[in-house]
Amino acid sequence: MTFVHQEVWHWQIATYLFLGGLGGATFAISAIIHLFEGCDRKMVSVAVMSSIAFLVIGTVFLLADMLQPLKAIYALTNPKSWIFWGVVFINFYFIAAITYVIPLLEAWPKLEPFIRKIPEPILGLLERFNNLAALGGSAAGFLVAIYTGLLISAAPAINFWNTPALPLLFVISGFSTGAAFLLLLSTFSDNEGAHKIASRLEQLDAVLIVTELIILGAYFNFAMFLPTGARASAEFLFHSPVFIAGFFVAGLIVPLAIETYSIFFRGHGNEGRKSALPILVASSLVLVGGYLLRIYVLKAGMFQFPW
Amino acid sequence: MARYGMVMDMRTCVGCQACMAACSTENQTPFWSEKFRTHVEDKEQGVFPDVRRVQLPRLCMHCENTPCLSACPTGATHMDKNGIVLVNYDRCIGCYACCIACPYDARYAYDGKDVDKERELYGENVSHEMPHVDKCTFCVQRLAEKLEPACVATCPTHTRIFGDLDDSKSEVHKLARSGKAQPLNQGLGTSPKVFYIPS
Ligand code: SF4
Ligand code: SF4
Repeated sequence: MTFVHQEVWHWQIATYLFLGGLGGATFAISAIIHLFEGCDRKMVSVAVMSSIAFLVIGTVFLLADMLQPLKAIYALTNPKSWIFWGVVFINFYFIAAITYVIPLLEAWPKLEPFIRKIPEPILGLLERFNNLAALGGSAAGFLVAIYTGLLISAAPAINFWNTPALPLLFVISGFSTGAAFLLLLSTFSDNEGAHKIASRLEQLDAVLIVTELIILGAYFNFAMFLPTGARASAEFLFHSPVFIAGFFVAGLIVPLAIETYSIFFRGHGNEGRKSALPILVASSLVLVGGYLLRIYVLKAGMFQFPW
Repeated sequence: MARYGMVMDMRTCVGCQACMAACSTENQTPFWSEKFRTHVEDKEQGVFPDVRRVQLPRLCMHCENTPCLSACPTGATHMDKNGIVLVNYDRCIGCYACCIACPYDARYAYDGKDVDKERELYGENVSHEMPHVDKCTFCVQRLAEKLEPACVATCPTHTRIFGDLDDSKSEVHKLARSGKAQPLNQGLGTSPKVFYIPS
């Protein structure tokens, strides 16, 4: 039995996994906020445009890592492959996101003339089905986020990846980075309702981080159970200072502490807007942590070969 | 229609690596980048003072339940009518999903640099015209001419035994059937068509 670090997927794929989770979740959370809390059109449109940009950049990293990116369309051949579904989910996502965001862009006076160029009946339809696009888009965003985990869990000889805990971890971490990104955006919004949404996002992010900690606990407990490649991977991570200090402490514990403090000890709206600095720090840390998680999970992947 | 398979007699392998050389030449694989379709693992077994060296030749196991094929989004990886797992170079996009899915380290990237070097060495007569993910083919081109795979024909110690697992008269059938030869990592359920006689 030998354990060998996988040398196939590196930081480019980690970037894709990170941006996929972030982009998918940012859209899904924005659309849910829209449906349940009403819509700050400016903030939501910036969020959705950024989430589209994240997925475009992520896809560029994925294509750049391939040997023949120009033939990528062939990936729609085998429905048994997760990549097939990734392509389906991402395209579904792009359609939903673009359909959803076009009517919202009217909130920007500079963009309005361009939006007005779209024929009235089409624009009318987009307006009418805006809620439906929000709903469809949040489903697509969720699927894209969970797909990033499913993709790498299809590895029978990499025990650390080949577990249902991994897609779960990636989807929760993806949503936590999405919430953090929206929090970051909300600090720039001058809309009246922004601080109310920011408090909601803060609560959401804190709950997601706690969930992530529980999944991590279960995941590492499973990995350490038997002397397999999974244990070798977990031990590798325990001995990686950047993973422990960068992801676990700075990317989870510190933002959780800041957010908990802010939720419980810093007023309930009566002293007006909260100061933006702690939010900025906490959300940036969550984002960096999310990226480090993808990089280190990929680095830690070890094949368990029978020789 | 056959179901081709191989048996490795680990009692006789001396680790000369002639199989690796024969395969590289036959299939123009990038030895210059130290990438091979078949390898010989040099292992130490046991605890001091009872230690010995074991040679374990390995290649694609041509799994019956094929994780690389399931992972391949483009259908480039496929199984031919004789149970041989092949890559259609023209369709492969080089996404590496198959390399991640393969539990036997049987695949590698024949990348752009390798394609250039191949052209430099072999001129117009090249077998890999574009970058793709590469693996053992049981030398399909030789089988078509009723020849054994290059590694089998070269092995000086008769470690590699090749044949049709469905043909009850073949040596591979008998060895696999009797349980004298066993596949590696059976627990994964991949049903490999390469079997090992332990040393
Ligand atoms: S050994 Fe690897 S490459 Fe060969 S058939 Fe099995 S999974 Fe595919
Ligand atoms: S690298 Fe080629 S053979 Fe492998 S999964 Fe991707 S398309 Fe299929």
